[in-house]
Order: sequence, then C-alpha cells, then structure tokens
Amino acid sequence: MKTFLNSLLLLTFLIPAVFFGQTQVSGTVTDEANALPLPGVNIVIKGTTTGASTDFDGNYTLTVSDGDVVVFSYVGYTTKEVTYTGQSPFNVTLAEDASQLDEVVLIGYGTTTKKDATGSIEAVTSEDFTRGNIVTPENLLQGRVAGVSVTTSGAPGSGSEIKIRGGSSINASNNPLIVIDGLPITNDNVGGSRGILASINPNDIDSFTILKDASATAIYGSRASNGVIIIVTKKGKSEFSADYDLQYTFGENANQIDVFSADAFADLVNSQNLPPSFISQLGDANTNWQDEIFRTTVSSLHNVTLRGALFDVVPARFSFGVTDQEGALITSEFERRNLSLALNPTLFDNHLKINVNTNLSFEDNRFADTGQIGAALGYDPTQPVYDPDSPFGGFYEHRNGDVLLLGGNNPVASLLQTNNIGDSQRFFGNLNFDYKFHFLPDMKFVLNLGYDQTEGFVTNNSVFATNDDVSANKSVSFQNRTNQSLDGFLNYKKTFGDIGTDFTAGYSYQKFTNDGYFTGNQFDPISVGDTFADPDIVLIGFFGRANFTFFDKYLMTATYRRDGTSRFSEENRWGDFYAGALAWQISDEDFLKDSKTISNLKLRVGYGITGQQEIPALDLFLNRYRSGNENSQYQFGNAIVQSLIPSEINPDLKWEETATIEVGIDYGLFNDRVTGSLNVFQKDSEDLLFDAPVPDGSNFSNRVLQNIGNLRIQGIEFTTNVDVISKEDLSLNFNFNATFLDREITELAFGQDVTTGGIAGGTGNFIQLFREGEAPNSFYVFKQLQDAQGNYIEGAYADLNGDNIINDEDRYLKADPDADVILGFQSNLEYKNFDFSFNLRANIGNYVYNNVNSSRAQYDLLQSNSVLGNIPTSVLDTNFQTTSDVIISDVYVENASFLRMDNITLGYTFKELSKVIKSVRLWGGVQNVFVITEYSGLDPEVFNGIDNTIYPRPRNILLGANIKF
Amino acid sequence: MKRKIKNISVLSLLMVFTFISCTDDLNITPNDNQTVLSEELFENESAYERVIAGVYSNLALTGTDGPGTSNIEGIDAGTSQFGRVLLYMQTLSADQMIWSYENDPGTREIQRNIWTAQNPLILGMFSRTHLTIALANNFLRETTADKLDSRGVSENIRQDIVEYRAEARLLRALSYYYMMDLFGKANFSTEATPLNETLPVYDRAQLFEFVESELLEIESDLVDSGANQYGRADKGVAYMVLAKIYLNAEVYLGQGQGQYDKCLTYCQKLLDANYMLATEYRHNFLADNNMNSATNEIIFPIISDGFSTQNFGPTTVMINGSVGSIEANGVEVGVTEGGWGGALRVRREFAELWQGGDFIDDDRNTIISNDRSIVITDISDSDTGYIIQKYANVTSNGTPGTDQTLVDTDFPLFRLADVYLMYAEAVLRQEGMANSTAVDLINALRTRANNPNLISSNELTLPFILDERSRELHWEAHRRQDLIRFGLYTGGNYNWAWKGNGSNGIAIPANLNVYPIPSLSISSNPNLTQNPGY
Repeated sequence: MKTFLNSLLLLTFLIPAVFFGQTQVSGTVTDEANALPLPGVNIVIKGTTTGASTDFDGNYTLTVSDGDVVVFSYVGYTTKEVTYTGQSPFNVTLAEDASQLDEVVLIGYGTTTKKDATGSIEAVTSEDFTRGNIVTPENLLQGRVAGVSVTTSGAPGSGSEIKIRGGSSINASNNPLIVIDGLPITNDNVGGSRGILASINPNDIDSFTILKDASATAIYGSRASNGVIIIVTKKGKSEFSADYDLQYTFGENANQIDVFSADAFADLVNSQNLPPSFISQLGDANTNWQDEIFRTTVSSLHNVTLRGALFDVVPARFSFGVTDQEGALITSEFERRNLSLALNPTLFDNHLKINVNTNLSFEDNRFADTGQIGAALGYDPTQPVYDPDSPFGGFYEHRNGDVLLLGGNNPVASLLQTNNIGDSQRFFGNLNFDYKFHFLPDMKFVLNLGYDQTEGFVTNNSVFATNDDVSANKSVSFQNRTNQSLDGFLNYKKTFGDIGTDFTAGYSYQKFTNDGYFTGNQFDPISVGDTFADPDIVLIGFFGRANFTFFDKYLMTATYRRDGTSRFSEENRWGDFYAGALAWQISDEDFLKDSKTISNLKLRVGYGITGQQEIPALDLFLNRYRSGNENSQYQFGNAIVQSLIPSEINPDLKWEETATIEVGIDYGLFNDRVTGSLNVFQKDSEDLLFDAPVPDGSNFSNRVLQNIGNLRIQGIEFTTNVDVISKEDLSLNFNFNATFLDREITELAFGQDVTTGGIAGGTGNFIQLFREGEAPNSFYVFKQLQDAQGNYIEGAYADLNGDNIINDEDRYLKADPDADVILGFQSNLEYKNFDFSFNLRANIGNYVYNNVNSSRAQYDLLQSNSVLGNIPTSVLDTNFQTTSDVIISDVYVENASFLRMDNITLGYTFKELSKVIKSVRLWGGVQNVFVITEYSGLDPEVFNGIDNTIYPRPRNILLGANIKF
Repeated sequence: MKRKIKNISVLSLLMVFTFISCTDDLNITPNDNQTVLSEELFENESAYERVIAGVYSNLALTGTDGPGTSNIEGIDAGTSQFGRVLLYMQTLSADQMIWSYENDPGTREIQRNIWTAQNPLILGMFSRTHLTIALANNFLRETTADKLDSRGVSENIRQDIVEYRAEARLLRALSYYYMMDLFGKANFSTEATPLNETLPVYDRAQLFEFVESELLEIESDLVDSGANQYGRADKGVAYMVLAKIYLNAEVYLGQGQGQYDKCLTYCQKLLDANYMLATEYRHNFLADNNMNSATNEIIFPIISDGFSTQNFGPTTVMINGSVGSIEANGVEVGVTEGGWGGALRVRREFAELWQGGDFIDDDRNTIISNDRSIVITDISDSDTGYIIQKYANVTSNGTPGTDQTLVDTDFPLFRLADVYLMYAEAVLRQEGMANSTAVDLINALRTRANNPNLISSNELTLPFILDERSRELHWEAHRRQDLIRFGLYTGGNYNWAWKGNGSNGIAIPANLNVYPIPSLSISSNPNLTQNPGY
C-alpha cells in the first residue's frame, strides 16, 4: 500500500516532464516462467547512460522518449530489448537463459561468470543436490562431481572424508579447504560434536562451488593444494515465502560379519582339543551378539524456512531445523537443532551491500562405543545376554562367582551401562561488506569478518563390570574451538573497448585456537584431571589477481599469493604461490558461432603452485619440554619430582608445494542440451609432509613429521550432463562423470622406503609402504604359499630373494587402496508431477586389507584370555591357527572394486493446492540401495584401505514431504 | 580525479600498515600448562633437576600423561615400558616363567623362542632404550660449561650439575650395556651428534669399549655407593655394570676374552661399600621396598607408585599376573581377588630346583603347588603348572598398596645378593676353585632366607652357581644372560619346557643368542643390518 502511494506521489511530480517529450514511465519486470518479480534488473536506454534498476518488487521508473530502445538485462536471463512506444505500465518479462554461461560462479575472493572462468570450477546448486537422506552437507555432493569423492562412515551424523582429485598429500591432510560464506573453516572437530560439517543444516546451503585446479585455488595459497569447496548459504529475499520440509527415515543394517552360531561354535570348540577349563565354559543359550547390539532405527528431520523482507526493507531468511537420528548401534543418538538468520540489506542506492549471516547449531549426542562392535564379534554365542544371578547389573558376564574372568565384558551391558553424552554449541557467522566506491563505481572494497566458535561438553556417567573397587565413571571433558578471520580486498573491474579487466588485491588473516579440560574419573581416587591448550594457529596472506578478457573470447588470469603460517619456523614460514591460466572461448569464434551442434566450446590451460601446511603438529619447530602429569612423576629421595621430557622436534619443517598443470575443455552441444567438460591434469607435490620414522635415538620419538619426498598424480576427468528429453511434461536428464587417477611417489629422501599403515592384532606392525616409483600406501605383504590342493600353508611364504630366510626382504608390494577409476552416474526423470531420480557410483581398482579377518579369523582366538571367544566363519576358508603367523599374508589384501547405488527417490508434487499452500511434494526413497562387490568384508569403501570393523552402513527407507507456502 | 587517487592511496597504505603489523602473530608459543619452551625453562635453575629426572623417568614411565600414554609412536604403552620388556626378553624367554595368554602380541613368540623381526616387544625394547640415550644426550647438551656460563647458573647448582651429568652418562652407558647384551649392536650417538641424523652402528666390541671407558671416566663424579637420594644412581650402579660386562666379557668379546679378575675388583668395591642384605628376603619385593630394609640391599630400582609413578611395568605385570586361576589369592598380594586370572606360572624345570628336601624351609621358595600338575601340556590352561608368590603390593606390615592394579612395588634392577653370587662365580672362573669368601657369601644368602642347609666348599661348582642364581634371582631379568654365559641357552645341552616350541624343549639355533633388530628400526636407519640368521 505504501509502495503504491509512493509511486503515485513520484508520478505526480514527474508529470511536468511529459511535456518535454520525455515520459516518466514505470513498470514491473517479471520472470517469464513463474511471473515472480525480478529485483535488481539492469535497465539502460541503448546508446545512452540513462538507466535504472528494479527494486525488490520488480518495479522501476525511467525517463524515456518515444522510440527509445530500452535494454533489460539480468544475470541468468536472456537480455531483452524493447522499444518504447507508449506502453504504460512498461512491463517486461524476462526468460531464463538456457545457456548457463552467464551463470555466476564463485572464485576465490570474488565471482566471475561461467563464461569467463579460466580454471576448473564446478558449481552444484540447490537444484542439483542429490536427493535422499540428507543429514549433513556432504551427503548433498556424493557422486555428483567428477574428481570429488565423498566417503562417509555409518555413524549417525558422522563426518566424512572428502577428496578432490585424490588429494595431493600423503599425510598432511588430504581434506580440501572448506569456505563457508567467505570464512575458511578448520577441519578439526570438537569433542561432543560429530564432525565439522555436521553442525550445518543442509537446507541452508544454496550452492557448493568446487575449485579443482591450481589456477583456481592458488589464490587461497597455503591451504589450497587439495582443492577448495566454497559453500554459500541461502540469502534473504524480499518476496515472502515459507517452506516446511519433513522427513522420516527407517533404517536397518544390510549386512553383518559372519561368526559362528551357538551350535556350530560348540562343535568347533569341541573339535579343537581345548583344555577342559575352556570346554566347561560352553553355555546353552543361542545369542547372536551382533543382532543384540544393533537395532533398526527411526529418525526424523523437520525444517522451516521463512524468507521475506524484514520491516519491509531488509531482505532476510530465517530457518529453523531439527534433526533426530538414531544410530544403528544401540544407545547411539544424534540430535541437532539449527537456527540460521541471513540479512542482506543494501544501502546507499546499492552501493553498499551488507550480508549478515548468523548460524547457531546445538548438537546433542549420545556416543556409543564403537569398540563394542569388535567385542560382539568375539563374544561367546552360547551365553545369554541377561543373567538374573549376576552381580553385574543383571547382565551375563564371564565370571567365577563374584570374580570376573579375564576376557572381555558383555557388549550389550557395556553399551547400556555407558552414558557418554556430548553437548555442543556452535555459532558461526560472518559480516560481509561490499562497497562500490561512490566516486569510482568500477572499484569496490569488500570486507569479510568471520567468526566460528564451537564449544562441546562430553559428560560420562557410566558403570562397568570389573573386579576393581572402582566400578563407575563420572567425568566431564570440555573443548572450545574458535576461528576468527578477516579478509579485505579491493576489486577494480572495467571494460576498455574490447578488453575487459578485473584486478583484485587483498589481505587475509585467520586465527584458530583450541583448548579444554578433562576432570578425570571422579569416582577413582587415583584418576587425575587435566587441561590442555593448543598453540594458536595463525595464517596471514597477501594476494592479488588480474583477469583480462580480449574480445570476449580470449581470457587470461594471473594470481599471486604470499602466505605465512605459524606452524613453521621463521625461516621457513613464508611461501609464494602463483598461478596463471589462459582460456579460449572457441565457440564464439566466427567459424563456430552459428554452429547448430556446438553451442559452447572453451579450451582452458592453467598452471599453478599451491601450498599445504595442514599437519597435526602446531609447534614442532620449537624446542619444547613437557612435564609429567600427577600420575607420571618420578621420585628423588622422599620428594616427588615433576620430570621434564623434551618433545620431538623438527626445526626444518616447511611448506609442501604442489604444482598443477591442467588442460581442459568445457563443451556444450545441441544448444547446451549436452554439456560437460574434459580435464587432463598432472599434480606434482614436493616436500611432502609425512610422519616418517627416524633412527632410534636420533630424536625424542621414533617418528617425526618431516618433508620427505615428492608425489605425482596424473588424472583425466570427464563429465557430461545430458538433457535427453526436455519438454513441458516430461524431462529426463542424466549426469555421468568419470575420473582416472594415477598416483606415484617420485622421490623419497635417500631413496629410502617409509613404512605406514598400523594394523590391529599386531602392535608395531605395518602393512603399507611408500616407495619410490610406486603408488603411495601400497600394501607390503608376504606371498602366501599353497599346497597342491590349493590350501594355504600357514606361515609359509615365498622366498622371493632366494636367501633361504623368510624376513622383510621377501615382502612385496601388492596393489594400493586408491581406485584407478571412479565413476558416477545420476539420473533425474520428471513426468507431469512425478519426479524420479537415482544415483550410482563405482570405484574400480581399489584394494583393501581385511584386518577383520587377518586379526580375528584364526583358531587360537577361540581362547580369549581366560574365556571362550567367537571368530569369523571365514576361518574355514583358510584354516589358519595363529594370528601372528598369518597377519602379514597377501591373502588378506582383496580387490574391493564396487558398484553402488547410493539412493533412489520417487516423488509427487501437488501444485497450486490453495492460496496458502503453493505446493506439496511427497516423496519416498531408499538410501544405500545395493552394493555389488567381490570384497568379503562388510563394506568395500574403507577410509585408508585398512578395514577394521567399520561401523556398518545401514540401508534406509525414507518418506518425506516438502511444503511450500 | 587526483584527489580520488590520493584517497585511494592513503586508504590502501593505511590498510597495508595495519595488516603488516599483524604478522607478529605468526610467532606463536605453547599455551599448554604442561609444555614449556626450552629458552624459558632454563631461566629457572630448578629446571636441571627436573630434566635429569626426565631421563630417569624413561626407565619407569612410558609417557607424560598417565600409564597408558606412550611417547614412542606406533608402540603402545603396554609393550614398551623398559622394565617390562626387559623382563620378557630376559626371563620370559627362558625356563623360569610362562605366560598364559598367547594372543597378547609378541608373548607367544618370545616364550617359545620363535621370534621374528616383527615382534612388537622386541621393538619396544629397542626403541625405549634408545630413547634413554637420546634424553641423556639432550641433558648433556644443555649443561655444557658454555651453556651454564651464558645462563649465569649459580655455583651450588653447578656442583649438583656435575653429579647430574655423570648420572646422565651412567644411564646412557647402562642403555648401551643392555643393547650390547640383547642385540649385539646399537645406533650410536653422543651429545655431539646432531638431531635427526642417520646414526652409525656400533657392534659388540665397540659398545664394550665405550661402556667401559665411560663408566671409568665418570666414576669420580658420581655420588658414593648407596649415598645418593632414592631414585638416583651412584657409584654402586657403575660398579655393578662394570662387574656385569667383565663377567660376561667372553660372551661379548669372544671365547678366551674373559675378564673375571676385573669383575672381582668391582664386586669387591661393592662388597666394601655400605650395602647390606635386607633383613628378610621378601622385603625386596614388597610395596615399601623403597623404605624397609631393602633400601640397604637394592643398588638401583625401577620406581613404581600407584598414584604418582603409574606404569604397566614389570612389578605390575608380575604381581597381577602371578595370582592363581584356582587360588584367587589376589587380595593377599594387594591386588583384586582374581588378579589377571592366572597369567603367569613357572615352568617345570624351575619348580624342580626346589625339590630334594634342602629347600622346604627357604624364604625364596614361594611355590604354590596344591593340586596342580608340574607339567604344562597346554599353555592356555592356567590351572596347570605351579605358581609363585614372590612379589606383592603390600607393605612389610601387610598394608595393601595405593591401587589395586598399579602397584607401589619397585623393581630391583640391581641388588646386593647378585653381587655375592657374581663374586663366587668370578672366583670359580678365575681360580678354578672356590675360596672361603665365596662360600661364606653363598651361605649368607641362605641364612638370610632362613634356610638351615648351608653348603661346603666342594659343593660350590659352576653348575651349582647357575642353579643358586635361579633360586635367588628368579624373575629379576637375569636368566637369559646367565644361561648364555654358561653356554646353555641355545643348542641342546639344556632343554626346558616349551623351549624352541617343543613341549619338553628342543635345541634352538645359535643365532638366537642375540635378538633380531626390529624391522621398523632397520627400515629407519640404513646403517643397521640384520643379525645373522634372521
């Protein structure tokens, strides 16, 4: 109403103008597809500098003369030219640009259009998000982008490992840098929370932009070697809208490790000639311990988002979400409440844009000890879960009267009696100022202030079965992490004739802190508490970029960044990272301009150097001593002496640098019905940071972080998006991506092998190796010998060097855990109001060391200290007796290539239900639909290639509704 | 326009200056209250005592934050406590002890003499001992005359530091002694060696020379025997190590290279010092062996305390482990009733040493046999085989220790009774026959043990000494060294239950007289070569 009166008033004042042949005209610009008004549309009278722009209701006023050609342009929409011939009101509709070339993409510290992008960048927006059980943001990305692999564990709300192009490092983190609304976040977690991205509501995310190659990431310098993922949260809009999403999930474990049932177990025990003190322990119950500790789960998710103009002036978005997820392991729970508010006012006639984002997240967790999964695998199946005569809470325990026998506690009891509650709060937000200078509108200044704080408590209130006097635990641990950042940069963008220029220069500062305390078990008189405080991590960078566009076809970018980190000594802490890229928009050349087949063809070449310093050690270069706590003291005479031990040190630690060269082609065929890209790249990492062994006695531990060598990764990435059918009623589209990766260690210090890969069942043993010329983390094993019938001969290995002694020199490298080929396929079908989608993923050539079998499937383990223990039935395949004889055998390194369907969804949308409810979409789906693999373990997707009873991934059935008001 | 440019330049310069001043923030320092920078640490003169305590603590502790922490990566606290791995390697690998839970990594191979270079206990021994060397070297580097001058350290602290330095060198020599004995080689480094360097390797002859020369050099700087504070080493320890290397010189240097006369010299020095046998045998193995009469007999302990020096070391293992599966006698020895369910028992050959009637009254005989069979046919059956009750977590008046698992009982690494036996043996080897002192010493041990059966001169033979050493010093990490010296460890001249993986014992090859260098250690030092036969 007010707006209308205002417009009327304005019109009245402008009536005199009419008499000079110029008319003050007004109108509304709307979206052709849905008649929604478009704010911020650029309007210019062609050939002049007279212009205007629409307000947030899509309205504008302009002084025009008859015959003027008025140009309406808006990002993402086809520019329209309309001649003024007296239309009143002068309303215009704009159609969305089918070509995505004008789509704005984010690059480090700025934006560009997809057309002008010179690096390898892929944006995934909320329309493309993988549908299914989306609890954490990473779920949104799974299988969508070539070169990006997302591996999640099964624990509810769990964190996951994201790798872009296989990472570039072997020990320093392989995690990409994640930037949320301009704030780079730490990858470290806080006790009480389940993962750094777990506290973000996926509904709040508008897009992910993945920067893959060095020319795109170099501007982030120090942390960019593994790629960058820029997350942008949804902004406020002034048009009012409300969304309510709800979702229910029913899950159950799809698979279990096979161990002996009670009868088979009793037979086995009797056949193995165990001493009577063991055989007499056989019970007469029939318990499947894995069934006892796992359950089917019911989880729910509710989310409300409101968008509108606050006080009619400030576009805002407010969202509130509640997630409640049960874990498959009994007692495991995850609950998260998110509140987020975004305000996006603009002031001074669009010269100053302010974005305020605030997010609050509350996580309540009950953590269940995943170690009990291993305990359940090994527990005697002939014993019952409950025992009314038991002095240990009514649960069965291995005991002799009141005395517990040595040999593991009842896993159900352990889970039910443990109350480990995590409570964490996270606030993160940023304040972003984007000021276009009044006196020089081509130049703008952007200031971004970000703050992220997580506080977590873990309270433990448990009892446990023990012979000790202390049988309860009450302890609290607390952790506080903060992350503060400040970015400021100047940006100057101007087109001089056919040459477009874009310069950016800026500064970035970031500081991380971490500290906390632990009270110790308050029921145990000898338990002591402790506090800890990490040294601060400070990162400072100076950066600059220059972009040139010639004739809209030839593009050139150069970036430079100088980064300093507090992790290295003064001599080594600064690094220079520069990059350059060239691109040629071939499809704009005359010979292709009018092609019907090729609608877009762009050739890109880029080279860049990025750095990596994300290692767990924060002050390794400093000469430090550590004092023993109250339980670790020494005595001189009658007095306790607080002893001091020097900590391991490496003063020479420095930046790991990765040089990437990439050639890519972005293509679009048949009017962009088919789009995609093909990238070929090579990354060379130097001075790899790794925790490598040092000679005993040469330092204060036997492994120290060092710069040890070079790694080369070569790869080809191919993506294609095909809109097979694109009609009013029916559309079918699919996305296929493939990545081929080859990783090789090109150099190691002194050419010396570096051992890695610790395993369960053999402390101090290693199963993987870094060797020059080989893939990193290759499995280093003995070659198993077989007899004439093909049975394995226990402990007999091939004498590969022929010296008649079987020792480490007879070990060989068999395969490595990284896949050679990663494939993703996604399909979306929409027919009338139905929508259907599914997603497939495959890894080929990845191997896994089955540590579950290698450390558990041996007959000796039927005796677990003083009691009977169960073992996997896979022991019947090998008939192995003793773990230490066989743990390094190559029979346990298996091919774990797999094809997996992550999710499949079917939905139906009711449109235009009523004035209030705009649409309701009901949908159902299945997550973790199937896995096809030859691997004998639970799941072929294993974090680092060593499979040791991972938390099983449940199969989930989901039902949900999205209601739009 | 000019003004606009000027405005921009001023603005940019301002920003640049503000931002550059923040680069100081890159100089971080530790925030944790347990961590301190070296420069700050030595500003306080009390630091030196604490740093030398840190060298000692590596014998008792595995980390700075409780008994479960380990400052050696990749090796857990349970398999790297110095005294414990020493016990496994010297006692578990011979005829006195057997461990029921063979699924514990490494134990099966050690007790059956079928170990390989992947054994985690062997790795624990190698790494832990080298860490003592590194810590000692660090102390010596920080206490050179130049450093002390530049820090302006006062005169009386400097006097203390002279002693501390000698003790650091002593602990270093002690570590090389054990490497020489167990592995026959070691990574060699002194305070002059820079950090993170590839280290040269010393063999037995070189290690012998180094240990000997070090101990002789530092002798005058050490505190007199038995006169130092509890927990610190003194001349007594130096003499002990010298006596040991001279007694075993034929093993280390080759046949015919024995130095038994020198052994006698140092045994004599120990006999002449202030040491005295404890009034009761068992006092040496109780929770208060840092305060009762054992303080006169124990020359050097590995400290343990249920609150302030927590560890899963040898005494924790032996006290909890020797509680019988049938007897459940844990409360008597100051731990939980069931202990560790019968983890440790004795082998038949050890039990047989007490038969024959002479040892019915002997405090050193703590054998509990009840209805148990002396023979162990299945190691996992903890109801078979005899058990003993030598160590306990109770004080001499019966009060239990601070905690029910982590014991207060120190481990007597070196004690006077051993000197008596070494003297007697050296005399026999040197002269070919016993003298009256030797006989008196043996009998003194028997009398102290309340055993009325004394020996005469012609009963004192080498085989007798070997057996008597087992009776007196069993479960104190000496047996393997003794058997090797007598030529009975490898080969088939003396077979004991489960030797070489045979239930009655079979001959084992001679290369097993030294342990293999661990795989991980070889892969980290290219100068290390594997011992023969591994």
